[in-house]
Amino acid sequence: MLTVSGLTASYGPVQVLQGIDFTVGDGEIVVILGANGAGKTTTMRAISGTMPRGGTVDFAGHELTKLSPDAIVRLGVAQVPQGRGTFSDLTVHDNLMVGAFTRSSKVTEDLDRWYSVFPRLAERREQKAGSLSGGEQQMLAIARAMMSRPKLLLCDEPSLGLAPIITQDLFARITELNQESGMAVLLVEQNANLALKIAHRAYVLDTGRIVASGTAAELQADETIQAAYLGV
Amino acid sequence: MFANSFELFIQRTVDGLAAGSIYALLALALVVVFRGSGQLNFAQGEMGMFCAFVASTLTLSGLPLWLSILLSMVVGFVMGVGIERVVIRPLEHKNPGGVLVAAIGLFLLINQLAVAVWGVDPRGLASLFPDGEDDFFRLFGAAVRWERVGIFLVMLVLLALLWALFTKTKIGLAMRAVANNQDSSRLVGIRVGWILAIGWGVSGAIGALGAALLAPQAGLSQALMLGPFVFASAAAILGGLDSPLGAVVGGLAIGLIQAYIVGYVNFLGGGMVLSVVFAIILVVLLVRPSGLFGSQRVERV
Repeated sequence: MLTVSGLTASYGPVQVLQGIDFTVGDGEIVVILGANGAGKTTTMRAISGTMPRGGTVDFAGHELTKLSPDAIVRLGVAQVPQGRGTFSDLTVHDNLMVGAFTRSSKVTEDLDRWYSVFPRLAERREQKAGSLSGGEQQMLAIARAMMSRPKLLLCDEPSLGLAPIITQDLFARITELNQESGMAVLLVEQNANLALKIAHRAYVLDTGRIVASGTAAELQADETIQAAYLGV
Repeated sequence: MFANSFELFIQRTVDGLAAGSIYALLALALVVVFRGSGQLNFAQGEMGMFCAFVASTLTLSGLPLWLSILLSMVVGFVMGVGIERVVIRPLEHKNPGGVLVAAIGLFLLINQLAVAVWGVDPRGLASLFPDGEDDFFRLFGAAVRWERVGIFLVMLVLLALLWALFTKTKIGLAMRAVANNQDSSRLVGIRVGWILAIGWGVSGAIGALGAALLAPQAGLSQALMLGPFVFASAAAILGGLDSPLGAVVGGLAIGLIQAYIVGYVNFLGGGMVLSVVFAIILVVLLVRPSGLFGSQRVERV
């Protein structure tokens, strides 16, 4: 579904991604692990087109590096950015509506669906998103991304700033979404233990390079990698 | 002429609301741009003045007045979109301060362009509403001119239309989203650049309407918008810069304050009125830094 090869990206003169390769298959949950500054967020932004990038990113036959962010969303790639990126001044309801910006039919149907999946959001539909708790905002960010009916969901460190129990709940939700709709998920995370529990496959990113890859079970079992890169 | 001080008060209130309606209209134009891009368009007034000349030329060529004004609003829209795309956007990425300089440059450019095209002789533009000497009615003894009532109503209709645009349409939702968070707007598939340009366009059209309503009473010259623009920006700031309702309340408030000061504190000369109005605004902003209706951000992290 997604094939990334030789992906590079820089902030000014500083090259953050040194040409990385990875794939996400249909219906897969793939996690990219790595410490702060490894280039995880940059990878996400390079895919979603919100920063300049080089190399190739093939999504279902489309070359994403040539497309603008709105075109990429229309193809079915939705990103939940780091720090959640909710529209803090807009109500929960408006946040979800704007998530469906690229669509015109069956929007209300989807709205009802995500309200029933996330009842907390339904309770707070008229509140400004900025007034929600961190966990609720993360739910909102995911529900908003789902409103675009993505085929691939990019999740940038959803666990950031959340209590472990809330992170667990969130990851359970992501797994459900993946199993119910067959939507592929690319997750980047610092929290290796939790992420490896829900992922099918994983890559380890270190200073802009992929240094290890394998099934989630393989990486969980590999003590050398765990000690060297995942700080366990 | 006035039977008592109550009549006089009513008269001043009516005059204040009339002047305030124009300020409110122009402030609405400023707010629409500010909400999207956080910029105060200093060329707003001159864009409107230019469009009023366009309207005047169209009426002289035989088109009906309402159609001429409508077409001048289209010109204002195109002008706004063009300025955003050609001048503002390329600068914004490189140097936000440069936008301010560019807007001031546009102010001078458009002003001189109007001189070059239409010359310096004042012209007229007919009023959309009855504005003959006898076109007024009496309210508690005070004369209320129909033209002023018309302008007030146009302003209210515009406020309602903007409210509907922002809250009931997809493009309005996108405009609010872009005003709040441009990065996230891109991630939901909004073409942020076009939304900003449309904001400038809508603002240009409103500015054209404001100028066309002002010109019949103020006389159409290149100086048409200089004073009103200053009051309109003050009104927008007083109202909170990002609130259409605030722009209207701010505009009407400034019109009223102006009328009362001129009427009741008549030892102050004309120039002093301006200073007093601004002193009042400063006091309000000291108490409420985000203006009367400006949004105060709520953000939990």
